[in-house]
Amino acid sequence: MGLLLCLLAGISLFVGASPLHPGALLSDPQALQLLAVSRIPRTAAVLLTGAAMAAAGVIMQLLVRNKFVEPGTTGTNEAAMLGLLAVTLLTPAMPLFGKMLAASASALAGTALFILLARRIPPERPLLIPLAGLVYGGVLMACASFIAIQSDLLQYLGIWMSGEFSGILAGRYELLWLAGGLALLSYFAADQFTIAGLGRAVSLNLGLRYGQVLGFGIVTVSLVSALVIVTVGMLPFVGLVVPNLVSRIMGDNLGASLPVVAGTGAGLLLLCDILGRLLRYPYEIPAGTVFGLFGAAVFLYMLLGRRAHG
Amino acid sequence: MAHRKIVQLAASIAVALCGAAQAQGIAIDTARGVVELPGQPQKIVVLDAAAADTLEALQAPIAGVPSQLYAGHLQDLQDKAAPVGTLFEPDYEAIAMLAPDLIIAGGRSSARVAALAGIAPAIDMTIWGEDHIGQSLARLRSYGRLTGQEARAEDLEAAFTAKLERARAAVAGRGNAMILMTNGPKVSVYGAGSRFGWLHTALDLPEAVASVDAQTHGEAVSFEFIAAADPDWLIIIDRAAAIGQGNQAAAVTLDNALVAGTTAWRRQQVVYLDAASVYVAGGGIQAMTATLEEVLAGFAAGG
Repeated sequence: MGLLLCLLAGISLFVGASPLHPGALLSDPQALQLLAVSRIPRTAAVLLTGAAMAAAGVIMQLLVRNKFVEPGTTGTNEAAMLGLLAVTLLTPAMPLFGKMLAASASALAGTALFILLARRIPPERPLLIPLAGLVYGGVLMACASFIAIQSDLLQYLGIWMSGEFSGILAGRYELLWLAGGLALLSYFAADQFTIAGLGRAVSLNLGLRYGQVLGFGIVTVSLVSALVIVTVGMLPFVGLVVPNLVSRIMGDNLGASLPVVAGTGAGLLLLCDILGRLLRYPYEIPAGTVFGLFGAAVFLYMLLGRRAHG
Repeated sequence: MAHRKIVQLAASIAVALCGAAQAQGIAIDTARGVVELPGQPQKIVVLDAAAADTLEALQAPIAGVPSQLYAGHLQDLQDKAAPVGTLFEPDYEAIAMLAPDLIIAGGRSSARVAALAGIAPAIDMTIWGEDHIGQSLARLRSYGRLTGQEARAEDLEAAFTAKLERARAAVAGRGNAMILMTNGPKVSVYGAGSRFGWLHTALDLPEAVASVDAQTHGEAVSFEFIAAADPDWLIIIDRAAAIGQGNQAAAVTLDNALVAGTTAWRRQQVVYLDAASVYVAGGGIQAMTATLEEVLAGFAAGG
């Protein structure tokens, strides 16, 4: 899989609106600049986003003990959006980093509230949780839309809703490294997350500090979601589809599967971004849209396939 | 129930008022063909920013406008006229209470014409598609006849046409241009067939990249696209200016190594347009004049 990722990254470096040939790198300083300013940051941003979102998705699924949730179906994204909208309106001059902090705090509060909600839903009705999450997210989104309509910011809100990488340049994506770092950090707690996935009672019996693990998970998921939204926008399905695909093959031992989940997320998203750059060249289709098509198909298959198994 | 009665009452008043002026019918050109109006309206509700802009220039009696027109130069009008909902969603009860003789819809409110016609005569004055300037000036003349201000309308048109000629002369031979709209961190490009395309067609300003699709909301592009096209002039519309940052946000978005390499940026040939004038009230005579002034000032200052 590492080889495949390298191959995709290599392709990504030489696909874009400006022509760039590998041979020119040795002779042309402008080609080098293009590579350093635009292509490498964009490729890195896609890889970091894909990996972090997929990791956040799998953690969320273990914490809520449900395979059909991700930050996009639990109100986390919408809560981050509300926070972003609030700071944009209240303190428009605030630098990007401050806006991200506000969005993260808001995402944190939104996710915590959802987990409280999810605990009241009986675990033997697994489809109720994502449904409740969608409704909860819908309510938050309705609030955000209302505020945006009132302040003529609907289109501004729209750009955060379709995740894409066309605006990524050196200096505009570095906070994604933080998201990548969080995903890496969560790897060290992978075994704890696996146990937490067995439920609160079992976890406590096994001597796990359940509350701490839960808290760490919520913080990770919220921060990753907020960082991704503020830098590239919403990317639905990445955190939902990828963990499910991997878990069908590798099972739920996060210690073993987390690197594969992260790698698959990064690779699939990069593939979608390359397609988005090529399909209407030299214009772009958002990577979120391309992934949405693919993700929706897989998600439907998972839902319908589940019924067939009884 | 109460509001239905009010609507009925308002409608009967409107009918009575129209009846009084039946003698001199006025036929005017709308987006849906010629409409015969019974006479000069004394009380107009306007649900379109471009129409409000032109009617204000003609000193027409405007009784109601949407609570937000987003354009600084229309603030006076907003302070005077009653609020009647938003650009998209008219507040039917508020309009009925005003008992207008005429409702002018257009653009964002054009889908509501049929519903509005239940309150008072309603016309759709949308400006859309080919020949933006021709349509806008036709609207100006219609409004002039409608309000008995033909002379003022002619003056406004003459002033605008003169300004258009000056702008055309100012951009001639100065190279090609690219119209960009920034929205937060992202950028889209607009071609000659787009809602801002009249800047290319009416001014004979060559496009840096020909055949950009005529999309309402532009084509999402990367900064590499701008760098590869290397336009001589950049014409920038900042969609997020509504939140009170002026052009600052657009300048920050575009200030990067790739855009800095373009001819336009190196020679400081960058023209910022007021988004409210060109976007929200685009087609209004004051707004179009203001946009031309910005183009003139930009081309005088640049390179």
